[in-house]
Amino acid sequence: MEKKSVSVTLEHVTKRFRNVKGKADVIAVNDSHFTIEPGELITLLGPSGCGKTTTLRMIAGFELPTEGRILIGDNDVTMLPPNKRDTATMFQSYGLFPHMTVFDNVAYGLKLRKVAKEEIAERVNGMLSLLGLADLGDRAPSKLSGGQQQRVALARSLIVAPSVLLLDEPLSNLDALLREQMRVEIKKIQRQLGITAVYVTHDRTEAMSLSDRVIVMKNGFIRQIGTPSEIYEAPNSRFVAGFVGKAAFFNVDVKGNDNGHYQCALGPKVVDVKHAAAGVNVDDKAVIMARPESLRLRDKGEGNIDGRVKLNVYLGAAVESFIDTPFGEVLVEIDDPQTKRIYPEGSEVSIDFAPDRVRLLASNEE
Amino acid sequence: MFTKRRIIQFIAIAVLFLAAMGWIYHQLSVSFREYADERNFNEISLFARTYDEGFSQDELSAWTGSVRNMIPGARSAYLAYSEETFDFEPAAGSEAVITMFQDSRELPEFISALDSCYYLEPMKLEADYSVDYSLDPDDAASSSEASQIYFLPTADESGAYVLGAIIITVPGVAATGYESLMRTLFIGASAIFLIIAFILLFTRDPMTGFLVLALFVIVGLFVAFPIFEAIRLSFIKEGHFSFAIWKSCLSPTYLVALWGSLKLGVLTASFSTVIGFLFAFLIERTSFRQKKLMTTLATMPVISPPFSLSLSIILLFGNNGLISKQILHLNASIYGLGGLVLVETIGMFPIAFMTLSGVLKQIDSTVEDAALDLSATRWQAFRTVTLPLALPGVLSAWLLVFTNSLADFANPLLLSGDYRVLSTEAYMLVTGRNDLGSGSALSFLLLLPTLTAFLVQRFWVSRKSYVTVTGKPSTTLTDLTNKPVRLALASVCWAIMAFILVLYVTILAGCFVRNWGIDYSFTLDNWGEALARGWTSIRDTVTLAAIATPIAGVLAMVAAMLIVRKKFPGKRLLEILIMTPYAIPGTLIGISYILAFNKPPILLVGTGAIIVINYVIRELPVGVENGIAALHQIDPAIEEAASDLGADVNTVFRTIVMPLVRPAFITSMSYTFVRSMTAVSAIIFLISARWNHLTVLIFNFSENLRFGLASVLSTVLIAIVLVVFFLMNLIVRDGKLTEKTISSR
Repeated sequence: MEKKSVSVTLEHVTKRFRNVKGKADVIAVNDSHFTIEPGELITLLGPSGCGKTTTLRMIAGFELPTEGRILIGDNDVTMLPPNKRDTATMFQSYGLFPHMTVFDNVAYGLKLRKVAKEEIAERVNGMLSLLGLADLGDRAPSKLSGGQQQRVALARSLIVAPSVLLLDEPLSNLDALLREQMRVEIKKIQRQLGITAVYVTHDRTEAMSLSDRVIVMKNGFIRQIGTPSEIYEAPNSRFVAGFVGKAAFFNVDVKGNDNGHYQCALGPKVVDVKHAAAGVNVDDKAVIMARPESLRLRDKGEGNIDGRVKLNVYLGAAVESFIDTPFGEVLVEIDDPQTKRIYPEGSEVSIDFAPDRVRLLASNEE
Repeated sequence: MFTKRRIIQFIAIAVLFLAAMGWIYHQLSVSFREYADERNFNEISLFARTYDEGFSQDELSAWTGSVRNMIPGARSAYLAYSEETFDFEPAAGSEAVITMFQDSRELPEFISALDSCYYLEPMKLEADYSVDYSLDPDDAASSSEASQIYFLPTADESGAYVLGAIIITVPGVAATGYESLMRTLFIGASAIFLIIAFILLFTRDPMTGFLVLALFVIVGLFVAFPIFEAIRLSFIKEGHFSFAIWKSCLSPTYLVALWGSLKLGVLTASFSTVIGFLFAFLIERTSFRQKKLMTTLATMPVISPPFSLSLSIILLFGNNGLISKQILHLNASIYGLGGLVLVETIGMFPIAFMTLSGVLKQIDSTVEDAALDLSATRWQAFRTVTLPLALPGVLSAWLLVFTNSLADFANPLLLSGDYRVLSTEAYMLVTGRNDLGSGSALSFLLLLPTLTAFLVQRFWVSRKSYVTVTGKPSTTLTDLTNKPVRLALASVCWAIMAFILVLYVTILAGCFVRNWGIDYSFTLDNWGEALARGWTSIRDTVTLAAIATPIAGVLAMVAAMLIVRKKFPGKRLLEILIMTPYAIPGTLIGISYILAFNKPPILLVGTGAIIVINYVIRELPVGVENGIAALHQIDPAIEEAASDLGADVNTVFRTIVMPLVRPAFITSMSYTFVRSMTAVSAIIFLISARWNHLTVLIFNFSENLRFGLASVLSTVLIAIVLVVFFLMNLIVRDGKLTEKTISSR
């Protein structure tokens, strides 16, 4: 199993799907260009149809890029078929072989590699017990629960010791509890084996909790690449901000820039904002992005934006207050509600934020 | 993929290969031409030596004409040497040659040729000259052709003085047959080599490329090429392009036959659809008890051999039939439209039944419940909900039976009497008058309505279907019939069933009767004679069908996998070519096979191979459809997982696809076997002295009124078919892990 971790590089990869009936071609992936470091777990995150699965399938070899190159380590694998690539994929639907037992499923890759029978038995049994499937070797996949099937699929991928592990929404068919367990499991094993991994999901919690870095995609374009905290706290666009977490947006006019502090006209008030994304210019329109947990409620007139409490939702660890404001409905999260003041529904309040807890984004985007 | 380096590589390979092929071809054709010239010269010299000084004018004419027995298409003329003018003058022979000679005798080459004749030296002209053979036409040459011209002197007995000269012209066509064959082979080989090189260089999955190429070669050779030949030859009469064949086919005689086919088709389709609907409704939508038994019985006629039902109808209702003559003493004849409609309806209503039961099964009972809930009566619910929902299915069933009836060949052959249908007319033309061109033209005439119905069914009716699989199967079934109605329905169906059973029993009885119609005493003699005379046919038929079955099965699954899972250029075309034999009548396939494969480069007529190929090609469409349906049930991720783990296309097919589609695979194999065993329409043209077919033998016995022998062979055939079905069913059931576990997204 000892193997050197390798990197995966996409060089200006574009994938166009030709449309048969004279309609325009569909551009699934548009000029993707990034490198996955050896041993890194990277997540492709985006709404459905954003090209994340297509990207994964191109790395696996199931799709051919229309333009660009794909490298695993230093080898150009763009033209290689899937069976010649050192990748293993875990599919959303698992793709277990229904006509084989669990043991045969896991042993399949080793048989193709002409490994000796005894060694196959030893390695497969080892892998099955590692994943807690020790007693299930002679079952049919259809006789297993969803979580077990998922682990069989993982075992089958891992046993051939691939350099790159590709996971295509592997947890989407599991219930919430199992999903959390498997998430931790996958991350542990990936770390332990040092496999470079690409994980495709549309679930931001999954992306945040698993990845070393996240690639946010939309309509075939990569919108941002960064660590989970970077894309959460310092998104470069309104789309990324909204997709990776809850956020409120306020349209403002940028009046001036003073040592990295922007003065913005927010309705009648001028507020101070410290962080700004690229593309924000003085004397232009912009958007203030605020996370619910960075907003505070004060009495009417004391904060930046006045409003009225519409609804309070009690979550235990926090209370979510929905505030009606001239900028639309704004969500404010109040942590540790026992110690804080909760404004009752219907009361007049004002929303306040610290200059360094919000972010200014360019407004020229949806 | 299309990198500059690879394109240059490919061009280099192509140039080198084509240059090499061209050189080889040139060498071969030059040496062949030299050889042909030499051979012609030898033969012509031999011919010249047979000149006799004492020939009378008539003998001379006959002699000059006889040259074409040595070289096809050649003409000759005799020039007599006149001592007075010191010149050669035409004395006898072909008008074409004499005209040519008179026109060009002043040319230097002709003058020198005559000079050399004067010195008793034979000569062949260097250049080819155009000769207008229409003055003197024959089979091989009848228009202006560039020809080689030979001059040969004849001498008196002493061998010293010239008496005259023979001019012989050999038209170019006679020599080019071999060359054009060679050219075809070279071009074909080059094309295949270049495509293989292309696949190896430019695709990342050469295996798929090769499989696609192989399939294209197969369907191109055995589907497109024969049909193309059949079309081409229906426009050629006596070596010329002409509409003569089509004109004669569109004459009133054959239009009557076309009308006959259509009338038969409409009647059969209508009756079959009604009966099929009764059966389907009884089985799928009522609480009728013996559903399984009835379904099995109702599908029997589909797998029984083609002549068997006609045979038993003749035994019962024929001129000397048991019921018509012995019991009722009628004089009415069963031969003709009535009998045909009866037999075809019995034989084909199962098609309508199976189509309709599929449709009725899918209609969700809750829609009927909703109608009843809105206070419709049961009859109203049936009329306003069930029937309209089933209507596309009804139309589809009608069209399917219609195409089947038009293409039907076996029943009209035995039962049509004076009634005329196109499929048998085409057969008569081919076997009776050896007129293949007209036969194929007639078959094309039949193709028109068949293809129309097929396309309408395929692309229009099937799209109008309201039936959708909701994935939420209704567990309860609302019975729309009350007890009396159900009983009435059931009795009608049982009555029809009973009649069909009587037909089969009659065949069985026919085996043991000395001479049906005259002497009904019990005998076993039929068995001895039938098995003795039919043994080789039984063996041949089983052998050929057994060879064809696995080939068709594997080919169908490979094709289905490529069509469902792979992207490649020309996929649509490949699909159409594979499906074509399903839509066109068997007679047309049979005739086109003789036309295409009775000459080089592919000479197959008379071999067992042509029969096997015909089986495979004809049964491929159904196998591919089954395979496609089965593959659509399988999550593509299963195959992708395998290839991801290192399996190449081959291995994926062998270890994943094949086991998963095994039930479909075996079903389509058993179907192929049975259909091959019971084939008639195309096979009857392709059998030969060496390879006979059981069904054709049954036909021959029936036609010669040896009903006992025909009954025995029919029984044997039915027994073989049933045994095969039974065995195949046993194998299908033997799935350990796969019980309904194939997940789909």
